[in-house]
Amino acid sequence: MSKCPYHDPFAEKREKGPVLETEFDGDPVAMILGLKDVRKAARDWSTFSSEAPFRVPIPREEHLRSVRQFPIESDPPEHSEYRKIVEPAFNRPNELEYQLRMRSLIQEMITEVISLGSIEAISDFALPLQSRALTLLLGVPESEADVWIKWGVHVLRDRDGPTKGREMENYCMKAFEKCSSWEENNFFSLLNEATFHGRFLTDEEKLGFANLAFAGGRDTVINTVCLILAHLAHHPDDLERLRKEPELVNCAGEEFVRFATPLTHIGRKCPVDTEVHGVKVKADKLISLCWASANFDDTVFDKPTEIRLDRKPNPHVAFGNGAHTCLGAPHARLIIRTLLTQLTELVSSITYLSGQPKIEKTADYERVNSFESLQLRVNGL
Amino acid sequence: MAKLTFVTESGEEITENDATGNLMEIARQNDVDGIIGACGGVCSCATCHVRVKPEWMERVGRPGEDEQDLLELEDRADERSRLSCQIEMTEELDGLVVEVTPL
Ligand code: HEM
Ligand code: HEM
Repeated sequence: MSKCPYHDPFAEKREKGPVLETEFDGDPVAMILGLKDVRKAARDWSTFSSEAPFRVPIPREEHLRSVRQFPIESDPPEHSEYRKIVEPAFNRPNELEYQLRMRSLIQEMITEVISLGSIEAISDFALPLQSRALTLLLGVPESEADVWIKWGVHVLRDRDGPTKGREMENYCMKAFEKCSSWEENNFFSLLNEATFHGRFLTDEEKLGFANLAFAGGRDTVINTVCLILAHLAHHPDDLERLRKEPELVNCAGEEFVRFATPLTHIGRKCPVDTEVHGVKVKADKLISLCWASANFDDTVFDKPTEIRLDRKPNPHVAFGNGAHTCLGAPHARLIIRTLLTQLTELVSSITYLSGQPKIEKTADYERVNSFESLQLRVNGL
Repeated sequence: MAKLTFVTESGEEITENDATGNLMEIARQNDVDGIIGACGGVCSCATCHVRVKPEWMERVGRPGEDEQDLLELEDRADERSRLSCQIEMTEELDGLVVEVTPL
């Protein structure tokens, strides 16, 4: 079992105390680090509120989008009502028909990359896979994925060049108009027909839902897919193990999501002056729930920097915890599990050629969070 | 044939007369409200929490160590708590009643 020493930049911080006092956007942020503390805070929405448009993601996003995101940037009881509107769409991955479509999609894509010889895993596989899979979730024609792929890995945050946020919003406004010609109950028509407190949703609200569906489920899925491919390239024994013990797929999937924890942390606002494990947080300032630290908490996880396909229990919080637990999780889990199964059925081994890490540099930590680029060869059975 | 009843938070009773497999899967097959089983039964998520009726606790048994570790993180869990994915239905459990309590 090897481990990547770059995977837990928070280990030393956790030794020093339960909270890392840092700053983002010139403002203090108290990051909560331990698994139990993070879970507790995630459930305490009255102390740690999501009623903070543009500030739940850290760094803040008002220059990247024009609308508040739903349901993530709201608190109960409104949050539960907003969330209910889109729940039917997000639960579709539980249907057998959906699972079969996902399987043929992933089969087709793996077969294609095998035939290509060497690939760049993000542009040739993970990004198109994520986009095409999203057409299933949103219930739109698969050809729409061609447009989304052009937005790049981070539709909102892009290191070089302008963000595609505006383009995505324009796309969504048009989608709300033309969605009646797509399959029944697609994501956009669901929002067109939805009511909240007896009225239809406003354009801003509808756009806020769509914005999150596109931005939230993008680099998270892409990063996890790349991590899985890189890991199996370095550890052919783990691919063999999954082939021999297919019942491990669900368990292994959870472990990859824990290890990847693509969303490092998420913000919450303190409505009043609050003391957080001894750290004073002023009214209207932020704390953050650091999923990436919590998932490597060695008081809960034995040897957390190791990837163990059979880790059980695995009470990770990569998908969050409490009222805002990731709505896209059934979809993301289906992608991951189907990918693992199909790799065992179609692929003999994966050759790692080269990779360039993507590093999240902040005032007080640097976190390697997946790959900027990743060259592989996927060898067929 | 073993009979199994779920009582949901709203008080609805859902009975499966020929219950086989683990309780989480049976609940999912019967669309029992409040049992999600998000992680697929690998003890990650605690979205299949039930409380066992006191008179059944001995026969159903205590949580395993893994399961207990997970339940300890949950405020709403108590001494009757189990994760339904970890309970396998058997003839011995014919007539079992569990209460669904989302965490
Ligand atoms: C591996 C992939 C993913 C990870 C790790 C992930 C992670 C998360 C986390 C940590 C949260 C909680 C945010 C909070 O507490 O404020 C969240 C919420 C959310 N995610 Fe995901 N996500 C993933 C994939 C997706 C996908 C594919 C979609 C949609 C297509 C999606 C849509 C959402 C939505 C709508 C919410 C807000 C739920 C609410 O506020 O009630 N996510 N996600
Ligand atoms: C600054 C960049 C990075 C450095 C210096 C680095 C370093 C290392 C080293 C030295 C190992 C081997 C440890 C051992 O064999 O005991 C390793 C393993 C690994 N690294 Fe990294 N790494 C980097 C970036 C990444 C990135 C971007 C990812 C993907 C998210 C990644 C994922 C992995 C994985 C999956 C393993 C194998 C761990 C296992 O299978 O247990 N690394 N890394």
